[in-house]
Amino acid sequence: MTLKFVPSICSYCGTGCGLLFQVMDGQLVGTLPMKTHPVNQGKLCIKGWNLHEHITSELRLKHPLLNTFGRMTKVGWDDAIGFAADRLKTIVAEHGPDSVGVLVSAKITNEENYLAQKFARAAIGTNNVDHCARL
Amino acid sequence: MQKQVRAWLEDGKVDVFLAYKMDCGHPLPHAFTRERIDETEDLVTGPARYSLEKFATQIAARHPEKKIGLLARDCTQRALNVLAVWNQLPAEQVEPLPVNCCPSALKPHADCTYLEAPATGDVKIQRGQDPRQSLEAIDAQEGSERFTRWMYEFQKCIKCYGCRNICPVCFCKDCSLEHPDLIGTGHLPPDIPIFHLVRAVHMAGRCIDCGLCEDACPAEIPLRLLYGKVNTIVKDLFDYDTGASDALSPFSILGDKPTLKPAPLLAVPQE
Repeated sequence: MTLKFVPSICSYCGTGCGLLFQVMDGQLVGTLPMKTHPVNQGKLCIKGWNLHEHITSELRLKHPLLNTFGRMTKVGWDDAIGFAADRLKTIVAEHGPDSVGVLVSAKITNEENYLAQKFARAAIGTNNVDHCARL
Repeated sequence: MQKQVRAWLEDGKVDVFLAYKMDCGHPLPHAFTRERIDETEDLVTGPARYSLEKFATQIAARHPEKKIGLLARDCTQRALNVLAVWNQLPAEQVEPLPVNCCPSALKPHADCTYLEAPATGDVKIQRGQDPRQSLEAIDAQEGSERFTRWMYEFQKCIKCYGCRNICPVCFCKDCSLEHPDLIGTGHLPPDIPIFHLVRAVHMAGRCIDCGLCEDACPAEIPLRLLYGKVNTIVKDLFDYDTGASDALSPFSILGDKPTLKPAPLLAVPQE
């Protein structure tokens, strides 16, 4: 029998609420607000309370899927990235860079967000960058 | 305290002990075990209160053979009693270790002081229910004023379910608050006042007045007052003392015969 409480920060938005992941017998079973955290002071919203659920969710995307003729087929990472790059290049060449928008996420790290906006501005050439936590 | 827990683990009196340990500068809940007994030197008792009895219930559900010790404030003792009465956590499986508790005349600076409702601002005093009021003061309000003030509190709800999630005595597998036939889904605020009243009714004969729900509420709805009122009705009508009585609550409807027994008529409040 093992029970652990792992302190962490909620990854859903920019507020940065402190929370605890409850791990029982090596399995993530729950999320709790951190009582003494200065940001949320023991409170959470519904997203934070259910943060542990997407990890074991059946709907979680674990492999790249390629939409070919309306069917999702499993492909390798190289194929997926190659296909995405080809399509992006074609779209930029045909309709200009501002026909592409990049939506970044609170669920990835600061550094990855930086890379994503760099990719949008330097590689594609557009300022169409937005973030899901721009509430 | 540390020595006591260490001794309990070494003697085999308990297999796991739930208390708090400083981690990253925060007192966080921690399960102390015999395998890592030296950790007991870092055991702290407060000041934050987590739902330790809820963790104990979860452990007991998976490991019925483990003996669980835990730090117990007075409200934890009441919760353990309610959980035992409702067959969620057998009393012989838990070993509570009493610790300092809510402020009283004898111990004014107790650990739970932080759970006292904070002083509220003008807006709340004008429109809502000040959580520091007594139940009598709320009952003294005129009906329409009382209703408007409670509705002001309820419409702030962001439906985070925090009050239910943190509650030590909320253990149902299917929760009425998530049943689409009972509570409308997909809009905010939730159906008021029914959302809060459904929960209040379910707290009758169960709420042990620990204050964790009010502490976890992002909208600062004075839930403790609401559930306190519900429980005074249970006490008046059925003479049932939640958390202190050994008997099943009068609202347990399982079994062949109804168990609802009103208290002697003298206990009914005189209108």
